[in-house]
Amino acid sequence: MTQDSAEPKQPTFDGPPLSLEEELAAAKAEPEPGPSIETVNESLKDGLNRCPKCGSTDVQLRGSTGMLVCLFCRNEWQEARVEEEFGLGEGIDQLEGTVIASGAGDIAADAADQLTFKCEACGAEVVVDTAHALNARCHWCRHTLNVNQQIPNGAVPDAVLPFRLTKDEAVEKIREFASKRRLFAHKRFKKEFVPENVLGVYLPYLVIDARAESQYWGKGEVQTRRWTEKQGDNNVTYYAADVYQVARQVSFTVDDLTVEGSSERAQIGPANTNNIINTILPFDTKNAVKWNASYLVGFTSEKRDLNVEAVRPHLEDQLLSIGRSQVRASLGRFDRGVRWEQEKLDVGGSRWVSMYLPVWLYSYRQESNGMLHYIAVNARTGETMGSIPVSQPKLLLAAFTVGTFLEGIAGAILVAMA
Amino acid sequence: MTLDLITALIPMASDDGAVWLLAAGPAGGAATYWAFYRYYRNNDKSHQFERDTLIAAQPVQGGEEKVGHISKTRNSDIEGDNSDKYRQRVQRVQ
Ligand SMILES: [Zn+2]
Ligand SMILES: [Zn+2]
Repeated sequence: MTQDSAEPKQPTFDGPPLSLEEELAAAKAEPEPGPSIETVNESLKDGLNRCPKCGSTDVQLRGSTGMLVCLFCRNEWQEARVEEEFGLGEGIDQLEGTVIASGAGDIAADAADQLTFKCEACGAEVVVDTAHALNARCHWCRHTLNVNQQIPNGAVPDAVLPFRLTKDEAVEKIREFASKRRLFAHKRFKKEFVPENVLGVYLPYLVIDARAESQYWGKGEVQTRRWTEKQGDNNVTYYAADVYQVARQVSFTVDDLTVEGSSERAQIGPANTNNIINTILPFDTKNAVKWNASYLVGFTSEKRDLNVEAVRPHLEDQLLSIGRSQVRASLGRFDRGVRWEQEKLDVGGSRWVSMYLPVWLYSYRQESNGMLHYIAVNARTGETMGSIPVSQPKLLLAAFTVGTFLEGIAGAILVAMA
Repeated sequence: MTLDLITALIPMASDDGAVWLLAAGPAGGAATYWAFYRYYRNNDKSHQFERDTLIAAQPVQGGEEKVGHISKTRNSDIEGDNSDKYRQRVQRVQ
């Protein structure tokens, strides 16, 4: 990265911020609808996913290969990667406005959750409740009916990243994670810990490409002198410094920024353990394939409930953070540090794709405070993170013991010096 | 960790009157508590999207202008340094 910090190219200060009225007006302005990427998998629109070789609908994901397998004739195949199919890797530096893929459209109200499919095999009508699952079996002929058709209610994502880690591998990861944290674990958790209860879940994400420019203004200080003065028995160190008004700006693109599409998971704070799920990002989203609900057979899935507009503030926050990390290296001369005071973001363009990402999830509700703890395994990379309920009395006792020990040593030093 | 604390304490005790050494117990206890709590609960962790996302940046631009001088301060650093706290939002201008 090069920089032109010596000669200011930009005005160092952009004037006062807008008035409250102007800001409110800007915030209320309707976003312009951008062009869309049509991701509907046309071959699946009757809700049946047939084996291309024998026509059977008994199809599911084979974890070891990441491919779909026909349980009748053992034929294996897979859907095309969305990256190439829809050109998602290209043209990020030319993105304009907001481009939303068809599966990332707004979520419709609950009324659209119930979808009725006519089973093509036997003619029965089967209802799939898309609020909870995106597939069901015909109760007469056992055909698997999938919500493959991308009905415009946002229930069906554009793409899915198939599971790769097997359940056994996930159980092993979870057991290993927990066994390193036995000593202070809550007694009840230790008794009730059964990693075999792990569930494979597809969680909804919005995967975003964006082109942005961010600007930052603040103060930076450069030390000019450092000296000590004697005050009574003590030496006190003093500093002198030059103060600068600093401005930086950077243009950048991000490829596949991944943001939670579930409102429950997007709330990250001390009151919950949602950060655990967030921590196992990133996924190899470049390997996501075109939507086909057969990838979901044997797993559960959670429906996206955040629309693009609701996620946009998260995106802007992350872009501002990314810009800050990009300009960090250009602040070297300010050896006393920089305090950013103002920042500005222009998103030139963004492209949004809705994607299901695979997670092995072990969850445990702590009885005493109702907190939901998770151990989550990224079912592509194996990255594992979790939250284990702590036994407060045991941990406090340990802290107290260490404290007492240190206090004893401190006392001994004092006595020796006296 | 405990050992580090002790080795840090011993030389420091000699310069500054040493009564503050008595804070070693409570400080060490609290540090122990938080270290283990974090290891179990991981509530400080999150996805490092600033680092683990594919980012292509143009060269950084900008400038600086001397606006003042601090002739004497006891602070070794600027107040409110947030140059490493990428996620700490500051005033947003339009
Ligand atoms: Zn077949
Ligand atoms: Zn049927």
